[in-house]
Amino acid sequence: MKNKIKVFRAMHDLTQEHLAQSIGVNRQTILAIEKEKYIPSLDLAFKISRYFKVNIEEVFIFDEKTPTIMDS
Amino acid sequence: MKKNTFYLIFGCIALALLSIFWYSIELHTPPLIEIAFVVGIVLVYLAKRKVTDLIHDERDMKITEQATIRTMQVFWVVFCAFSIGAVMEILHIPEFPREAFLMRSPVLLPPRMMGYIQLALLCLMIFLYVGFRIYYAKKYGDFETDEE
Repeated sequence: MKNKIKVFRAMHDLTQEHLAQSIGVNRQTILAIEKEKYIPSLDLAFKISRYFKVNIEEVFIFDEKTPTIMDS
Repeated sequence: MKKNTFYLIFGCIALALLSIFWYSIELHTPPLIEIAFVVGIVLVYLAKRKVTDLIHDERDMKITEQATIRTMQVFWVVFCAFSIGAVMEILHIPEFPREAFLMRSPVLLPPRMMGYIQLALLCLMIFLYVGFRIYYAKKYGDFETDEE
């Protein structure tokens, strides 16, 4: 799952810490999502996209090659 | 309560438990440390509930979940394999014919020793869990660094 969180953060002039606090997660979680080390739950993905006031598909791009939870 | 205050309280409880453990050995009264241990852990849980800046989010839960599952998957196999062997040694199943029974090889480990090894395996499970936790924390980006 690719994402554009870093781009949206830059557009809104937000730090990882600020975004993390706003949606109730750790800064490390935002960093892990940005680095594609962690795939967020649907709930968290919606929270992030709602925060930026865009559709979920604009922030997260589904990639079929990315390993899913079942593969890990 | 701040996170650092909680760590200080945790350290104090650990020190108190260590002292009670020593005192319990001196007095030769195991129930003292057993009760103190339960009270200590309850106090830690109560203190943890008061911490305001400690976020346990979904990624943390996933790391914990994966580490627990893997620990159990490895641990139960090792523990059961050893326990099966221990039960076979303890039961002294008679062998036939009688000559074979008399010529039976001596027991490798006495039952009490097997109990100690089982206890040691249970203690080692904690290290196994910590190992898996570090592995999954690394896998889900815990040690990643950024420019921020």
